[in-house]
Amino acid sequence: MAKPRIAFFKFSSCAGCQLSVLNLEEHLLDIFGAVDIAYFVMAKRENHEGPYDVGFVEGAVTTPREVQELKKIREECKFLVAMGTCACTGGIPSMKNFAGTQRQMEEKVYTELWDIQSIPAHGIDYYVKVDAYLRGCAVDLGELVELLKSLLLGVSPHFRPHAVCNECKLKENVCLLVHKGKPCMGSVTAAGCGALCPSLNRPCEGCRGPANDANTVSLAQKFLELGLTREDVRRKFLKYAGNTPEFRRGAEAV
Amino acid sequence: MSVEAFVLSKNELGGFLEKLKEDYEVLGPVAKDTEFVFAQVGSVEELRLDYDTTILPPKKYFHRPVETLFKFSGPTEITESGEPVRKQVIFGIHPCDLNALLSLDQVFLGTYPDPYYKARRENSVIIGLNCTKPCEKGFCSSFNTGPAMDTGFDLALTDLGDKFLVEVGTLKGKELATGLAAASTEDVVTKNRLLRASQEKMKRRLETEGLAELLYQNTEHPVWEKLKEECLACGTCTTVCPTCFCFGVKDYVDLTLKNGERPRTWDSCMFYEFSRVALDHIFRPDRAARVKQRIYHKLVYFNQQFGTTGCVGCGRCVSTCIKSIDPVEIVAAIRENPSPPKEVKLFTPVIKKVTPEKSPWEPQKAVIKAIKPQTKDTTTYTFSFVDPKVQEAYTFEPGVFNMISIFGIGEAPISISSSPDVKDSFDHTIRAVGNVTNALAKLKVGDIVGIRGPFGTGWPVEEMKGKNVLLVAGGIGLAPLRPVIKWIQARRDQYGFFEILYGARTPNDMLFTDEFEEWRKIPNTRLLLTVDMVPPGVEWSHNIGVVTTLFDKMHSRPENTIMITCGPEIMMKFVVRDLLARGFAPEQIFVSLERRMSCGIKKCGNCQIGPVFVCQDGPVFRYADLMNLPEEIF
Repeated sequence: MAKPRIAFFKFSSCAGCQLSVLNLEEHLLDIFGAVDIAYFVMAKRENHEGPYDVGFVEGAVTTPREVQELKKIREECKFLVAMGTCACTGGIPSMKNFAGTQRQMEEKVYTELWDIQSIPAHGIDYYVKVDAYLRGCAVDLGELVELLKSLLLGVSPHFRPHAVCNECKLKENVCLLVHKGKPCMGSVTAAGCGALCPSLNRPCEGCRGPANDANTVSLAQKFLELGLTREDVRRKFLKYAGNTPEFRRGAEAV
Repeated sequence: MSVEAFVLSKNELGGFLEKLKEDYEVLGPVAKDTEFVFAQVGSVEELRLDYDTTILPPKKYFHRPVETLFKFSGPTEITESGEPVRKQVIFGIHPCDLNALLSLDQVFLGTYPDPYYKARRENSVIIGLNCTKPCEKGFCSSFNTGPAMDTGFDLALTDLGDKFLVEVGTLKGKELATGLAAASTEDVVTKNRLLRASQEKMKRRLETEGLAELLYQNTEHPVWEKLKEECLACGTCTTVCPTCFCFGVKDYVDLTLKNGERPRTWDSCMFYEFSRVALDHIFRPDRAARVKQRIYHKLVYFNQQFGTTGCVGCGRCVSTCIKSIDPVEIVAAIRENPSPPKEVKLFTPVIKKVTPEKSPWEPQKAVIKAIKPQTKDTTTYTFSFVDPKVQEAYTFEPGVFNMISIFGIGEAPISISSSPDVKDSFDHTIRAVGNVTNALAKLKVGDIVGIRGPFGTGWPVEEMKGKNVLLVAGGIGLAPLRPVIKWIQARRDQYGFFEILYGARTPNDMLFTDEFEEWRKIPNTRLLLTVDMVPPGVEWSHNIGVVTTLFDKMHSRPENTIMITCGPEIMMKFVVRDLLARGFAPEQIFVSLERRMSCGIKKCGNCQIGPVFVCQDGPVFRYADLMNLPEEIF
């Protein structure tokens, strides 16, 4: 098989996911051996036009122009990957969807409004078909490599759609929620990060979006019992994935 | 005095540990933040024998959270088996966890002994610690799995204040106790008194009297719907459980895409995707059903499957649950307000013991001898083991399956579609729908795959002797039934009237069409065909409609007949329903079920339906055995 041509694109985001790709130091040379990185503005001076075999898209879609660009990218890429939480669920930019009208948001941020055209922030699958999702803020590099290998092998990648709790328990972390009373989102958030935050004594923020069959309503009630206010609970569920029905239910449950 | 006992003063403990460390890695309870974990013990000060419970049970040293089964290079070459096993002492294991280990022994050392678990077990010394103080959430005395241990240890310690009583359980233990002072009768009396007091102090109790019947009668109790609302499906209860054994198997390759390893990783029946098979079909999507599965497995099924307890009352699932879901409270809630009692027949599968010489995990190489397309996505492959001795020794019953491996891609269970009478090869008829089957579809004659098997219980060809046989197949479900057709054909005088009903979506989806003529010529045999629909331009002179529409045309009657069926679940559901309505008894009906399987040898747990393992107790079951399980089969 010829080396697949790979491209990286960016929409509304912090560019942290792309930067992470460059952190793949130990694998980077092997990856360059296996694939042809044709378009990666952050990393390369020479970039080539499509079509591409695989396109990685970072960032949420927040303007009409981005919608048009995304549609063109979809046409150019045989396999399209939503890379990172913003591209998967709207991520941090999607907080604005729940904080007021577009106009109110625009007024909060910009002084000159005449040229501002923003739309509610969504993950890219709101507009185009997506073939695979790399969750996380930022993406997990192990999963990125796993996805690349799966693509090269022609098999479906093995991700962990269950709760972060599993990975956390396997590390034998003391449970931040049960034993320390901290509002950890691990029990409703998809695993794959290796329980990164709880392992560093920080509660899970839910950046990877809902786990399979996430029971957010039950967790929201638990958060109230822990002493969180209704508004706290709402904010927790709307931070990264308020666009998903599961986290939205959690936000609206209390 | 029956048990040999010594004493170890607390200031001698350090020296005792150091002596153990000369030959063993010593693993014991140490503090981690506000909790305890089992870990390598550095100094005696680190060892916290006052611990209540640990986050993970010491099970992790026997059934590892992630264990490499083997490393491979290329699609069929094993380069290294297992992982290195060190000699270890499990120091201070509580009675609950020790009894859990004894339960796990039945899982891993019973049928198809697991070489990895076995090696770790054989290289371990167990130094137990009785509980003179009950832990907060424990309820071990409900199952006689604590607070005192009576078997399974090399040495058992009991804290007597300034010293430990050291009881000897094995010769190995006696060796390790060399040099200790003998215990006095008074020491033993003190120990008994302390442990009795500990048991009396235990407040929590799960009433086990008639528990199996109670749970079987209360599958629809309101408590389950309530738990569905509560449970987060995070799987923590199963991850921390000392008797949970389920795992998944998946291949990992490096960027060469050729070299890699096949590990098994702890899995959980609480996860939505636990029962997922190709085409993303999920057999247990409902959270209430998954909660039920866990509780029933711990309290009832485990006993039916392995003759030993599945819950040891360690309390971990309760103390780690965000919503404090508690088996003690669940059972109490059911007892308080039970459904009206009804007669329950507990089906307990036969415990078989198979002990193959070779590792049941490592496939044998088999070469593709022939490839024959059946439909646009289904193909029959003829295989033969590369090693002629393996091929010669290979026999199977109609209806069983093999695990087919392509290292780097994975492994899939596939039923055998050829006659057991053919000795130099065997067939698999495979629809390309998943990772492994899609990869198979790219192979050609002469290519080599890995095969383990045969596994499972097949069609009741012995019981069928002297009887009429009604065979109902749907779509690719004909594949595991084809061996029966061949079998009866070769022994025609041993069976009565034989009727084959076969349905498929369209004429183009029918398998083995070139053999239909031959089947029709089998004496005293009828073949009836039907399709759901006929696309334009396709010729079709048989019935149109689902397979049950053939029942009015069939000659088979319930008297002295065995019915065997395989096909999509929804088809089997209606076939069974209609035949029951036509007077067939559940005992006459045999079905072949599909579930997720990662091992084939009753270890991974993925294929369980109630107390049965589809991989070994099935895939073929007598419907009567399944119809009253707490979990619906289809």
